[in-house]
Amino acid sequence: MPLKLLLQLSGRNILRHRRRNGMMLAALVVAVASVVLMNGLIRGMQRDMADMAVDNLVGHVKVLAPGYRDDPGVQRSFALAADWRSALAPGLLEGWAARLQVPAVVISERGTRGVRLVGVHPVREAVSFLGDVEMAGEFLQDAGDGRILVGRALAEQLETAVGRRLVIITEGVDGRSREAGFRIAGLYDADGTALERAFVFTGVEALQKMLGTEAVTELSMRLHEESQLPQVKAALAASFAGLDVLDWRELQPQAAAMFVYADAAIFIWFLVMMGALAFGLMNTLITSIMERVRELGMLRALGLRGRSVVAQVVLESSLLMLIGVAAGVVLGWLLAQALGEGIDLSLWAEGVESFGMRAVLRPILLVEDVVLIAALSLVLGVAASLYPAWRVVRIKPLEALGR
Amino acid sequence: MKRLLGSILALAASSLADAAVPAAAADASPAPLPDPYALVAAAIDHNRGLTSYVEMAMLVHRPDWRRRSALEAWTRGRTDALVRFTAPPRDAGNATLRNGERMWTYTPKLNRVVRLPFSLMSQSWAGSDFSYTDLSRTDDLLNFYRLVLAEVGEVEGRRVYRIDAFPLDNAPVVWGKEEWLLRDDHVLLSQTFFDQEMQPLKRLEALDIRELGGRQMGVRVRMSKLDEADHYTEIEYLNAQFDLALPDSLFTTFSLQSGGRGG
Repeated sequence: MPLKLLLQLSGRNILRHRRRNGMMLAALVVAVASVVLMNGLIRGMQRDMADMAVDNLVGHVKVLAPGYRDDPGVQRSFALAADWRSALAPGLLEGWAARLQVPAVVISERGTRGVRLVGVHPVREAVSFLGDVEMAGEFLQDAGDGRILVGRALAEQLETAVGRRLVIITEGVDGRSREAGFRIAGLYDADGTALERAFVFTGVEALQKMLGTEAVTELSMRLHEESQLPQVKAALAASFAGLDVLDWRELQPQAAAMFVYADAAIFIWFLVMMGALAFGLMNTLITSIMERVRELGMLRALGLRGRSVVAQVVLESSLLMLIGVAAGVVLGWLLAQALGEGIDLSLWAEGVESFGMRAVLRPILLVEDVVLIAALSLVLGVAASLYPAWRVVRIKPLEALGR
Repeated sequence: MKRLLGSILALAASSLADAAVPAAAADASPAPLPDPYALVAAAIDHNRGLTSYVEMAMLVHRPDWRRRSALEAWTRGRTDALVRFTAPPRDAGNATLRNGERMWTYTPKLNRVVRLPFSLMSQSWAGSDFSYTDLSRTDDLLNFYRLVLAEVGEVEGRRVYRIDAFPLDNAPVVWGKEEWLLRDDHVLLSQTFFDQEMQPLKRLEALDIRELGGRQMGVRVRMSKLDEADHYTEIEYLNAQFDLALPDSLFTTFSLQSGGRGG
């Protein structure tokens, strides 16, 4: 039996029950659109997490003194040789920053908070979020600038402002506490309030002087290409023997883990939505077959082969699926476009940021993801039609006609 | 220090006078003004003596509750102090020790001595309106501030100095200013803490001044939060002895634990 005829038959069958198939289609469109959109959001979240993990003073790769991660402090620091970059092939690094990062307590007239005090070289911080952060007041002028940059959220908690003095207490290299007043040069607006609450910045040389050291606690690097990470890590491990060389996945294991979970989440969402739908589709097909037992028996009696009957049912299912998936992808794409500005999650900012995401979630649609979703949906459609088709093959023309 | 406060003091500062203190009567003969650093140092020492022992009643007052307790305290020089609760029974035995720049607390219920991290120093002490810093950092005014004798006035026939203290630029001080009112017999009448917008935040004031243990002192003092109504802590000195012999062992963590009886 020619394909054209089968197609015609299938098309007619679909059109015969517009309401039933229309509802089926609607369910399909919604399901596919939701999978496409969800996929876009999760991809957006993943990119956010990766960007933020790298931006958050981590960089792609970092050199730390052993033990610093378990017990950060000025004692776990190292001296940075002036020629350390000779170990790396030129052109690999987009930028680098050496910092002195220590736990500290900041005190204002009205509050006390624990923070990380980070001594930075202002120019070098182009590698982190500080490079293009929004500021009220002034940025640090140079590495010797003894003023501080405070996050806006922290300033709100401490009820302080640009130009005021905060007292900072931390531990010097000799283990004794150091305290001093620092003027606030500016307030920075990071993407997340968690960052704003966690980090207070000052000039690295000013901080070294206060703590009585010439060392730094970390060297953070940003690469042009993440794919060159293993090469850079190996070179660094060789030249910084005795120090820890760690990439962002090791430094931010929760972000790396979320990355993997997000992949799984996309897949699970797809399975749940489309799985439920497959049973709906199967049900629709069986219903339409049960209605047409006489008709199908007649076709068989007229000499239509079992193969062709099966093909007709599968075609019918595939047609439905094709229309549904196409419309669903379009709808999902439209929804993603509508959300192009991003979903403002700032209401739940604290929770969201604890996962290393930004407060605004922008969906990202990858062509290969959409193609995969469409293809898998069609496969599922065919799979869903197998059982109904098997039922059709079992119809005995004599019995069917006798009804 | 006494000589600085002698009767030769002229009241040339009356030109600086404003409403805070009744203006001093103008005096014709100009004479040097007292050194504010000397005034403050004398007041700090006066209040504490070389050594001291005091018994106090403390009232923590809040809009919806109040709590009374009794304490005793020993001090030596500018750096050593031991404070112990004696009542109510629930708190009795809780103690705070300061030795040099370090502080410890002891709670009998836990039977543990805890060294106070510096980060806690600005926190409330024993739930009162005093911070650990208020108790321990009395010399800060001499070390970290620029002192200005802002005004000389007269109250009830005694000379009163208003000293404005502005923190030095990198001083570990959160206040914008402190304002002391000192009577010429070294009695601290009030101490007001201003935030960096120069709004008064809290004030320590002497409500009742009379002789105790051979010295004129504020026997009832109150620390109030000025931005929260009805938040204050009052301390009443019931008994005070100055310049007595105290053993070295008193200001040790062992003594902190063993009841402050000198170990």
